Amino acid sequence: MFDLSSRTAKLVFGGVLVVIGFYLFFPIYWMITSSLKGNAELYRVIPTFFPQQFTFAHYWSAIAESKLLVYLGNSLIVSGASAAINTVLAVYAGYSFAKYRYAGRQPIMLFMLSAQMFPFGLLLISLYPVMTSLGLLDTRPGLILSYIVFALPVATYMLYSYFMQVPDELIDAARADGGGDLRIFHTIVLPISIPPIVTVFLYSFMWSWNDLLYSMTLIVSEDKRTIGPGLLLTYLNETNADWGGAMAASLLVSLPIVIAFMFLQRYFVQGVTAGAVK
Amino acid sequence: MTTDIADAVPARIEDYPVSPRSRRGGLQAAQRRIGLLMLLPAAAAFAFVILYPFGQALALSLFEDTLQTITPTFIGFANFKAVLTDPEVWQSFGITIIYVGCSTLGTLVLGLGWALLLNQPFKGRGVFRALTLMPWVVPSTVSAFIWAWIFNSRFGLINGLLLELHLIDVPQAWLSTPEGAMLAVILTRIWRSIPLFMAFFLAGLQNVDTEQLDAARVDGARNFAILRDHVLPHLRPVLIVVVVLGVIGGLQDFDTIYALTGGGPVRATAVLSVEVYKTAFEQWDIGTASAIGVLWVATLLPPAFFYLRMLVKGR
Repeated sequence: MFDLSSRTAKLVFGGVLVVIGFYLFFPIYWMITSSLKGNAELYRVIPTFFPQQFTFAHYWSAIAESKLLVYLGNSLIVSGASAAINTVLAVYAGYSFAKYRYAGRQPIMLFMLSAQMFPFGLLLISLYPVMTSLGLLDTRPGLILSYIVFALPVATYMLYSYFMQVPDELIDAARADGGGDLRIFHTIVLPISIPPIVTVFLYSFMWSWNDLLYSMTLIVSEDKRTIGPGLLLTYLNETNADWGGAMAASLLVSLPIVIAFMFLQRYFVQGVTAGAVK
Repeated sequence: MTTDIADAVPARIEDYPVSPRSRRGGLQAAQRRIGLLMLLPAAAAFAFVILYPFGQALALSLFEDTLQTITPTFIGFANFKAVLTDPEVWQSFGITIIYVGCSTLGTLVLGLGWALLLNQPFKGRGVFRALTLMPWVVPSTVSAFIWAWIFNSRFGLINGLLLELHLIDVPQAWLSTPEGAMLAVILTRIWRSIPLFMAFFLAGLQNVDTEQLDAARVDGARNFAILRDHVLPHLRPVLIVVVVLGVIGGLQDFDTIYALTGGGPVRATAVLSVEVYKTAFEQWDIGTASAIGVLWVATLLPPAFFYLRMLVKGR
């Protein structure tokens, strides 16, 4: 797009690359190297750029001395279940919006799309008594249900825009062969829709995995706590300043989601920007 | 799936296309039933976790509901009256505006710059693009930890750098000052949002007509003129999408601020989301919290309106 043959252009290009690149990537580098430094090296006023001595001590202490593994397990269960529920709901709703016509279809869809304007914190005020009266406060099912708030609207829209591209001829041909609509959807449309479905699953999973607000409020018991509040309550309090452990734990809880994204990032970016909603 | 935003967002709401088959005459009631059946689970979930709580919160804002009240009592608009005359709530509005304004503007500039850069062909571009997603996908608590450590008052990176450069003589307690804490939450927010903005801009850059660019270049246009006259005008629709989504996301943001500063020092970074949370779940004043929350919805309405208008009227 730009001509970078001149010296000034090269300088500007390189300068922007270094400045924004530093801002984006150095904090990640800092988390990794800080987690690998011994305490003597970590707590210095002038920090070392590269660890002089590597140690995995912070990782062992994060795993053995805190309940990190419990939190990770809880997050895995809660995020996996809520992502699965969200994906199933969004798959059917998206297909319904894309391929069927009925009264109220457009208003309902528009309404779901605008759901971003309902503040999550405000919804929580009323979800809390609802979950209490259903006996779901401080339970994983309660949290799983609440997580539908975050991702369902966008997930539905992402799948809607995908199903719009599935040719009607394909469905018509199957109908002509005498297949019922649900059967056609399950045996013909779904198998060719795996990439967007995986994208939507991952998108929903990420919202739950990253959440702090809902988990912190709706879960009270330590043994059901997920990683967000778990990390916060373990490492960020006035008396305890274990930054090495905090960085090691941060890295460990980020790994699963970062790895998943590295593999699926192309689908993912396409899916999210196609939705054109958050 | 397309990467083309202009295609992805229908120009008019009436254009939400429906398959020609179902539009054809002789529309079968059976098919309509299947369509509704498929929508039903999602609609029920939506009503249960979004619609009902929202209505409930609207109602609660008209009640006095604190730890002292056994059953909520209807008090009309008294909560709103109290909230709107409370200087702390107004302060929270101001903080929210600064936070959302600065972080959206900052992300816009840096996200656009980064997208323009990663749109140039160069070796390792794919790796850069993939790595850029990392700040976005790490959990919010983690990003708060990273930046809290960077801003740490005794051993933080920022203090270390500034001491090395002799710009300060003693380490500063950044997060204990109102300005420092605000700077930290804004920098964290920008850091987390650049990836998404970049993705949208990169998608938008594919709309730029390269032939037109080549022609302009033959006519002697320099890089800056190309950017101003040929690239930025094409990015206008994406720019609007990104700003609206950025503002909505910023207004919704709670996790990073809460984990990084807890809304402090004192109330310096208590944006509306933090304010509502603290009023509801620390002071258990549900009525007041709901009233602040309703005002918070009011701040979300303009961007949401723009967003819907974008869908309805086209750009």
